Amino acid sequence: MLNLSTYFFKIDQLSIFVGIFIVFFSILTIIYSFGFMRRQKGLFSYYLYVVLTLVASLGAVFSNNLILFIVFWGFLGLLLYLLIGYGKKETTNSTAKKAFIIIGGTDAIMLLGIAFVWHITGLLQMDKMSIPLSTRPATLAYLCLAAGAFAKAGAMPFHTWVPDTAEDAPTPVVAFLPASLDKLLGIYFLARISLDIFQLNPSMNIFLMAIGSFTIMAAVMMALVQHDLKRLLGYHAVSQVGYMVLGIGTANPIGIAGGLFHMLNNTIYKSCLFFGAGAVEKETGTTDLGRLGGLAKIMPITFVTFLLASLAISGVPPFNGFASKWLIYQGIIETAKAGGHLWVIWLIAAMFGSALTLASFMKLVHAVFLGQPSRNIKVNEERIVGSSMFAPMITLASLCVIFGVFAYQIPLKVFIFPSIRIWPRLSGVWNAGAATILILAGIVIGSIIYLFSTAVKTRRTESFVGGEDVKSHPDMRVSGTEFYNTIQEIGLLRVIYKLAKKKVFDLYDVGEKISSGFIKVLRYIHNGVLPTYLGWCLLGTIILFWILLR
Amino acid sequence: MSNISSIIPLFTAIPLGGAFVISLIGRKARWISDLLAILTALVICVLSLLSVRIYNMYGVLTYSVGGWIPPVGIGMVLDGLTTFMLVVVNLVAFCVVIYSINYMERFTSKWKFYTLFFLMVAGMNGVIISGDIFNFFVFLEIASVASYALVAFGTEKHELEAAFKYAVMGTIGSLFILLGIALLYGYTSTLNMADMANVLAQKNTTNLTLMVSVMFLMGFGLKAAIVPFHGWLPDAHPSAPAPISAMLSGVLIKSLGIYAICRIFFNVIGISQPISSILMFLGALSMVVGGLLALGQWDLKRLLAYSSISQIGYIVLAIGLATPLGILAGLFHLFNHSIFKSLLFLNSGSVEYITGTRDLKKMGGLSQNAPFTSTINLIGSMSIAGIPPFSGFWSKLFIIVAVVQAGRFGYAFWAILVSILTLAMYLKVTKYAFSGSLKESLKHIKKVPVFMKLSMAILAVITLIGGLLLVPGVDELFLKPAADTMLQGVRYSTGILTGLK
Repeated sequence: MLNLSTYFFKIDQLSIFVGIFIVFFSILTIIYSFGFMRRQKGLFSYYLYVVLTLVASLGAVFSNNLILFIVFWGFLGLLLYLLIGYGKKETTNSTAKKAFIIIGGTDAIMLLGIAFVWHITGLLQMDKMSIPLSTRPATLAYLCLAAGAFAKAGAMPFHTWVPDTAEDAPTPVVAFLPASLDKLLGIYFLARISLDIFQLNPSMNIFLMAIGSFTIMAAVMMALVQHDLKRLLGYHAVSQVGYMVLGIGTANPIGIAGGLFHMLNNTIYKSCLFFGAGAVEKETGTTDLGRLGGLAKIMPITFVTFLLASLAISGVPPFNGFASKWLIYQGIIETAKAGGHLWVIWLIAAMFGSALTLASFMKLVHAVFLGQPSRNIKVNEERIVGSSMFAPMITLASLCVIFGVFAYQIPLKVFIFPSIRIWPRLSGVWNAGAATILILAGIVIGSIIYLFSTAVKTRRTESFVGGEDVKSHPDMRVSGTEFYNTIQEIGLLRVIYKLAKKKVFDLYDVGEKISSGFIKVLRYIHNGVLPTYLGWCLLGTIILFWILLR
Repeated sequence: MSNISSIIPLFTAIPLGGAFVISLIGRKARWISDLLAILTALVICVLSLLSVRIYNMYGVLTYSVGGWIPPVGIGMVLDGLTTFMLVVVNLVAFCVVIYSINYMERFTSKWKFYTLFFLMVAGMNGVIISGDIFNFFVFLEIASVASYALVAFGTEKHELEAAFKYAVMGTIGSLFILLGIALLYGYTSTLNMADMANVLAQKNTTNLTLMVSVMFLMGFGLKAAIVPFHGWLPDAHPSAPAPISAMLSGVLIKSLGIYAICRIFFNVIGISQPISSILMFLGALSMVVGGLLALGQWDLKRLLAYSSISQIGYIVLAIGLATPLGILAGLFHLFNHSIFKSLLFLNSGSVEYITGTRDLKKMGGLSQNAPFTSTINLIGSMSIAGIPPFSGFWSKLFIIVAVVQAGRFGYAFWAILVSILTLAMYLKVTKYAFSGSLKESLKHIKKVPVFMKLSMAILAVITLIGGLLLVPGVDELFLKPAADTMLQGVRYSTGILTGLK
């Protein structure tokens, strides 16, 4: 029996680390759903699917057998499809279908990868493998398996289901699957194949880093111009995956630790952001940025947690997002020792992406919580966002701070370094405690200067409105939605944004167009006329005769 | 020994007898024909399950009709492949009969339906157990003619048209098969398949065997609806009543087409490299063409029919590999496909029953007021699309592993591509028919009757647990013997001949 259990299951530090957080996020999602999904139909099956997702995810993480792994992994795709179906929008159907085709399709590609692995090694036990990427089947196998990991985590080019799902699925589902569990699983499996099952070569590492950098930049550029709260967050969910892939692609312990740590941090703040977005949706009934605004006074708890998570995702010290990005930067600089100059590109992409993330969240926080409230939305007076929704948000927001300030004392020491079994020597100097004190001192000094100078110099008057009556024009306000629309007008970017709007970069839509072309041709020759069909039979027979008897 | 082997002819005798009795007294009252049909189907279903046990205890069994010793007399054989196919055919037939009790109420003269149905079952069972190539052809024609009539059972315009097309093409296919048999008879001077294999093995491959191979490929390829011989299927399968669609797509194309290809090419003529390559190529072609056409359909049953072409392609591809794993995977997919495709066709019948339409554009939101139908659709769809843990996943996995193991990486990519197409087409069905908001016209719909539900529930359970057939130990009982029979190739004949003499 013991033999059989190690054949199918294996428990190591990495899987324990991922497993703990799978359970943690499932519990938070269930608590949040008590508030969010209240008074909806079909709740029994909803919670059943959530629990099944938890079980299947744990199964996938602890499997040691590739077949067993793909069984759990593939079943998760079906559960995702069923859970998205609880959305209320009209496009929910199409979104669920799209997500499942991308996930299920890449699962099929993973089957091919597993077949290749079995063909090469004759084994299915993950811990017994160590395949060098020297032959073509080995490279194909790695790429096939990585495609599945990318699709699950939402890295490019399989990312397109994430923003759609974020917009259309019920918010707890978005926070549960694309934002947390699918990230954990996807990056877990990427780490597993990149670190244990295969021995990567430098060119594959460069490929991974290129995918990561491209994902960071492209997705954050898309996020800048979105005007739906949940969709915008969905693009950030894609962008952040880039950092994790980049980190794992560096192939040195610091970078890998950074990638895994970023996976953990991202799930924390991204779930918190989606939970916040759900609270806003519940309170106002919309997620359209143009119609939101000034919610800070009405929803102070949501505002504070959302702000903390926004600062964390933007990589502002001392929050957790900064700690993991800092490790990734160090990992990238470490690759410079191997020679080559590509690391400059990766570093610029990572840092610039981080800056754009901050810019995008300034827009978002302003549009939702600051500024003047829009008049054409009704805020629900009953305050239906209750403690079961606040509790997960507060927990996650405080984790953002704790994992940032005590990054080395808690998460890295307990979870990350044991799971990669290496304690890397850090090249830079970073003392989170001291930095926090410095930042706090900076803020205090800054506010003293601000208060001092305003007390002396500012003159307040009525704003000049050109004689118009402001109150009769409710939309005469700065909503923030349009902050970055001008970047759509700049040179080459204009072309790219236009193509992106036509979904030229969406593999799903491209595939749909190609197949519908073939279908048209095939339907044309299937005209339903008996002589045509007999003609094919004859033609087929003649060709067979020719092949066999020539 | 001889006592036990006398169950072999029962597989044709019981359905033939059932058809006869139903046509005699079934017209008196509906319940009589229902009862007789259920009894007949149950008996042959139990017998076929029993034959698995008998085969595992006694090995290959043979039966000489009328006590005449082959090769003069007619021989019947029960081996691994036979028991496997018998279970597939009779299990599906049993579920279909249960379903028909309620579904066929809308047609007049139900007894005629049952008579034709059991005639078809007798033909299929006869094809499977026959050890004699001419009897094989006779049973094949019985099953085909019965199926032409069943396709036209509704006698509406498009049904008659479909049946006419089917009859013309089917007859041409049969003609090629008969010509091939005649040529082989002339060449080997025997009609017994085992004897024929012996004689052929002693002679070298000549142009004559190759020519006969082409004729069989065309004839059986047409019965199995392999591209480019598939023209009749997309008309015939949707036009028939739902239980018959389930039988045609579920088992008829497999017993008359795939089984015949397996038996003749593996056990009689002997598989050769060019034939194997042709089978693989045609399989891959069928997969892609059927898959793409299915994706473009808006008629639910026509979509299912094209998808059958695509799935037959998978089976032919896997069997064409002619490796042990490939044959096992192909046969397992054959079993799974017959279960879940019957399930999907029966379910399309219940959708038509409750909504009165087959057009996906006229449906929507059925999951809200037809939860059972919706669940069955999900189970069948996920199984055919190869989503774990349903049975379709396991056969897809095995097919892909077998194709990669044989070093045919290109075909492996095709198989993956088509599995994505399959997922897309069934999600299309789910999206347009079952999810979304409920259409106004579908607010008040009929309930699915209990026997229809029962039959679908049985098939759904089988497709849920079908993967267990691969568990080591269980596969020895059912799948392995069938695959081993094919792997023995022409050497298999020696066992039969000693048994018969």
